[in-house]
Amino acid sequence: MSYDDGLADLHWMFDMLHHIDVGLVVVNQQYEVKLWNSFMENHSGVSSSIAKEQSLLSIFPTLDESWLCQKMETVFALKTPIYISWEQRPNLFPFKSCRPITGIADKMYQNVAIRPISNPDGSVKHLCLIVYDVTDIATNKMALTSANQRLHRLMKALSK
Amino acid sequence: MDWDVDVQFAENGQEALDAISNSQFDLLFLDLNMPVKDGYQTLEALASFEDAPAVIVVSGDVQPKAIERVKAMGAMEFHKKPAAEEDLRELLVSLGLFTEGESPNRPVLEKVTAAEQFTLNECLQEVANVAMGQAASALANMMNVFIKLPVPKVNILEVSELHMALDYSVRDDTCSLVSQGFVGSGIAFEALSVFSDSSFPDMAKLLGIEGNITRSLETELLMDVSSVLVGPFMTAIGKQINIDFSHSHPVLLGQHVKIADLINAKKSTWKRTLAVEIIYEVENYQVNCDLMLLFTEDSISTLENLLSFLVEEDE
Repeated sequence: MSYDDGLADLHWMFDMLHHIDVGLVVVNQQYEVKLWNSFMENHSGVSSSIAKEQSLLSIFPTLDESWLCQKMETVFALKTPIYISWEQRPNLFPFKSCRPITGIADKMYQNVAIRPISNPDGSVKHLCLIVYDVTDIATNKMALTSANQRLHRLMKALSK
Repeated sequence: MDWDVDVQFAENGQEALDAISNSQFDLLFLDLNMPVKDGYQTLEALASFEDAPAVIVVSGDVQPKAIERVKAMGAMEFHKKPAAEEDLRELLVSLGLFTEGESPNRPVLEKVTAAEQFTLNECLQEVANVAMGQAASALANMMNVFIKLPVPKVNILEVSELHMALDYSVRDDTCSLVSQGFVGSGIAFEALSVFSDSSFPDMAKLLGIEGNITRSLETELLMDVSSVLVGPFMTAIGKQINIDFSHSHPVLLGQHVKIADLINAKKSTWKRTLAVEIIYEVENYQVNCDLMLLFTEDSISTLENLLSFLVEEDE
């Protein structure tokens, strides 16, 4: 591969990661932001240049600090990814729903994965947070659950 | 511009024609999408004038066929919107209408559009107008057709009014909708493409698809047409206001539904939305597509701010 190919590759990769419809954040051991993609910029209203070098916890003061730090420490210690479901923390980051007008939800429901990023020597000094917008899945599941509960109550009433 | 001429502004084609019948003008800058009398109608009317001014069409409608048409109708030149000062100067020099240091004797009538006035609605209308022209041009090239462009409507709507606006656009028919969310720099909106269900046969024809129109083919048509309609439009809007929007995956909101079943006024938690509505029609085809940009209420002030910068830069 020529040097230009390698550079183009890097450019593509960067373009994809920046514009992908998923939030990407890289933090170091002090939880300072090292990477902040366009999804994070646009949904939080905090630009990458402002977010970088700031602590993730100071960007979002509403985050449950001790809870989140514990999760991140686990990833650092065990070098294994951990997952946070919307059913556990529906709106970890205070983002609004992508479809504010036709959607039912006001807030964006999120699944978040926290993954270790290993250095060439195998040490883990950084974490990556991957934020998925699962608002449609969450609202559909909640609507289905409530419809089933209503059905169940009706069946019970009928069988009496 | 250091051009020593008298300039008069007209709000629409009719006003321009009235002014031209009353006094003599050398040059008319003409927009195409205008209320009362649009650019085409104005050109048509000008043909019967004995001493009509030279016409330079300045429009956001950059479809090759639109340019062909206005030239066939007597326009001297076409210039895309937004028009930068240097480009206009170059054009005027190349047409022999302007030489440095010299100036025509007779006054020039200029049609200036909304960007020079300062209300949010008008600025937004103008931004949408330019974006719409670029989107239509992309579509027109893809399908080799001419797309009729209306003046975008900008309104603040309550939930029930949105129903009415959408109901009106699909009339008695059922419709199919695709929605895509956009967010960036404190501005959030949905782009809603509404297709009247009677449009499908001609949509298939346009895309060169033969055979029965099955449900799955309809879904394919919906997603394809809304992508090509919304994508170039958003790119053009983003470029103008300098925002790289994040967009969600488009969602098929419903097929063959009544609007009333879709946007439930009782369940809606929002109160007002800033709506930009564009009704695309394809010439010689029964295709009606309504593109609606629905901005959240809290985006309005940010948008106002951004658009005011845009106007200042233009000055």
